[in-house]
Amino acid sequence: MSAALRIAQLQKERGGEPLAIAVLEKAREAGAHMLSGAVLDPSALVDLVPDFKAKGAPLAADVRRDDIYFLTRTAKFRLPITPPFFQNHGNYIISLNRFVKWLAGLVEAEGIDVFTGFPATEVLFDPPADAGQPARVAGVRTGDRGVDRHGRRKSTFEPGVDIRAKVTIFADGVRGNLTKSLVRQLGLDEGRSPQAYAIGIKELWEVPAGRLVAGRVVHTMGYPLKTEEFGGAFMYSLPDNVISIGLVSGLDYRDPMFDPHIAFQHLKRHPLIASVLEGGQIIRYGAKALPEGGWYTIPKTYAAGALIAGDAAGFMNSVRLKGIHLAMRTGMFAAETAFDAIRRGDTSEAAMKAYDDKVQGSSVRRELYPVRNVHQAFSHGSLAGAAFAGLSLLTRGWWFTDPMPSHGGWTRIRKLAEYYKDARPDPDATMNPVRIDRQLTFDRLTNVHYSGTRHVEDQPSHLIVHDATVCATRCREEYGNPCIRFCPANVYEMVDAGDGTKKLQINASNCVHCKTCDIMDPYQIIDWVPPEGGGGPQYDGM
Amino acid sequence: MILVVAEHRDGALNRASLETIAAAQHAGGPLKIVVLGSGMETVVGQLAAADAAEILIVDDPALEPYTADGFVLALEQVIRAENPERVFLPHTYQTRDFAPALAARVQRPLVTDCIAVRDGGYARPVFQGKLHADVAVDGPHLATFQIGAFRADAMKSGASPAPARKAAIAIDASRIRQKPEAPFKEARQAVDLSQAERIVAVGRGIKSQEHLAIAQQLAQAMGAELAASRPICDAGWLPMDRQIGSSGQTVAPKLYVALGISGAIQHLVGMKGARTIVAINKDAEAPIFEVADYGIAGDLFEVVPAMIAELHKSTA
Repeated sequence: MSAALRIAQLQKERGGEPLAIAVLEKAREAGAHMLSGAVLDPSALVDLVPDFKAKGAPLAADVRRDDIYFLTRTAKFRLPITPPFFQNHGNYIISLNRFVKWLAGLVEAEGIDVFTGFPATEVLFDPPADAGQPARVAGVRTGDRGVDRHGRRKSTFEPGVDIRAKVTIFADGVRGNLTKSLVRQLGLDEGRSPQAYAIGIKELWEVPAGRLVAGRVVHTMGYPLKTEEFGGAFMYSLPDNVISIGLVSGLDYRDPMFDPHIAFQHLKRHPLIASVLEGGQIIRYGAKALPEGGWYTIPKTYAAGALIAGDAAGFMNSVRLKGIHLAMRTGMFAAETAFDAIRRGDTSEAAMKAYDDKVQGSSVRRELYPVRNVHQAFSHGSLAGAAFAGLSLLTRGWWFTDPMPSHGGWTRIRKLAEYYKDARPDPDATMNPVRIDRQLTFDRLTNVHYSGTRHVEDQPSHLIVHDATVCATRCREEYGNPCIRFCPANVYEMVDAGDGTKKLQINASNCVHCKTCDIMDPYQIIDWVPPEGGGGPQYDGM
Repeated sequence: MILVVAEHRDGALNRASLETIAAAQHAGGPLKIVVLGSGMETVVGQLAAADAAEILIVDDPALEPYTADGFVLALEQVIRAENPERVFLPHTYQTRDFAPALAARVQRPLVTDCIAVRDGGYARPVFQGKLHADVAVDGPHLATFQIGAFRADAMKSGASPAPARKAAIAIDASRIRQKPEAPFKEARQAVDLSQAERIVAVGRGIKSQEHLAIAQQLAQAMGAELAASRPICDAGWLPMDRQIGSSGQTVAPKLYVALGISGAIQHLVGMKGARTIVAINKDAEAPIFEVADYGIAGDLFEVVPAMIAELHKSTA
């Protein structure tokens, strides 16, 4: 949305032949698949929409107070000082999905078409990627509608359309399906470190009056995660006694029985959190992956006719826990590059490199480069990570090996036999069970209800498991089907096959589009592809 | 005088028409009913049961199949001839298609989606149903009524059939601009569970497909429809059109018997409107017991045969 708005602004400023600009959005309405904490650093917003306050930007609250706690199972220890990267003075607590909806309004007011409910499923190349000549991106193809679960055309069938563009800006978010295929086909990740991800699970609560003043920001480390697990929790207070609470867990955990959803339930039972939530009511639930890897994991972000912006490229600062301003800023840079390139009639790879030059010379690099090794240091445990984060304030991120070596998060998960030795658990058991009282704690299925997710039932599964026999045999034996635990929406279930064995059942319509399965599956045989347009969660206030 | 526009398709009266007649009777005063189409004997017969002054029939081949232009042309003439104080219509898709044009043509205000008749006006939901607004209207006007706002069985029947009269109206077919194609239909649902008075629903607790027979027997003994929660339909043990819940049908029968259903919120939203809910489940903590009027925490394979035996005894 920032990119679209910026192009419209450039067009107004500089005039010339009007450009046709379109935004494709897979959600039913703009912002409905957006989920974040969220604390907004307004640095990009003030440049994009200087009069954002007059235009009614939905900024829920000014940050008034920042606290960091270290939690043990029953106790809390407040850090006496808040480290600089955690300081949020001058920032705003927002609902990202309302913020994006607002931006979409500004975009539409500029006469730009926002096509909601139309996911792009394929990148179009002309000439194609395997033709021997340099490939150039020529646009995208949208998904077919009206296909039944067996892949047959229903009476409502409508084929997808090819949308051809001089420049396509890919802002399809964390682990975006288009960016994933673009990076693979053009080898854009060559020489880069593998992206590291985390999964954030979030709930919105309405609590009795007087619990927290609006504008409180609380971050926690420690419990319910083990020291070998990366992550932490957040609790932000919004106006009208609404609390945003969530747990971010690194998708590079070792314990194959780790269950981020259960960990989140344990978090809510901790006295620090429970004392705020008790007597309140859950309003919404959702989950989304985050790109945590930082500077060295960002792929080449340009190709002939194409630019990659925001979370799709991995522009997120995992130390400051912020990415919205970077997404907006890179979207604006992409817009400027695309506009100049089209006006000059040159959208070759060399012309698109201007985008990379802008990023390199900007606040984006100044912010991300010094913390380039921090996430990787956390792979040695949360204490080593925290120590390195502190150290990098002095060293500007330097380390003996720079980039610090790293591996794809999914390669770190251990086999049951390795992790548990002789005490091999039952894959269907819960290692660290939590009492589900349906007041404070919920099972996955109940939570899914609060995400508002909905899909046309009679359509092919949009979660493609390339070899489902692996699930019942190898995976069950080696890893104990971690998908049934890392999926926050009960999509994956191992059900009785009727002959004493288990088989995989995919409840695709529960999916909240978080992308965790595509990222974390130890065999890398799950592909997340967009479902029929409009399907997915219906976030409001998230 | 109130004029109610009745709606029908393929020889069947839309129940919403009866609800609208009930609304008009509630509002009070003389009542006429108009029905448009071609060859409508059954429909007219049904309408004649209502306590109304007269049934007006506009029978013209140009009105079949339905077109917005045709209905506007016909109703404009009826309204000019009869000059009713108010025109009531059911808030159906068809009404939504033509009523705005009709209101503009006769230059009368249109109040849509009403849920109640108030002194000098109506109540209608605003802000997606969060608030009800009272709307006041002066002079002759049109009003449409939300489906379910009035009950069809609250419609008063007359002592004798209402007289029917053919309206003397000519329709210039050349002024109808729409050329309707054959109606488009999604695959029709084989069973409409929303009409069932009693439902026996099975969930995961039934364990295997062979065990469905026992639920089937209970349903038969009770004269109930068989339905299921999502896992049963996902497994293909029952067709999808028997699924109850957020991704299936929403039902409100008089009696709902849940066998081995834990009561996931997705299921509850589809059946919590049932008048009496009976739950049988092994797990006494299951959320289904929170909505059940009668609950048996026990093994359905013991309880259900006993229920069937009792039912047979009482009918024998």
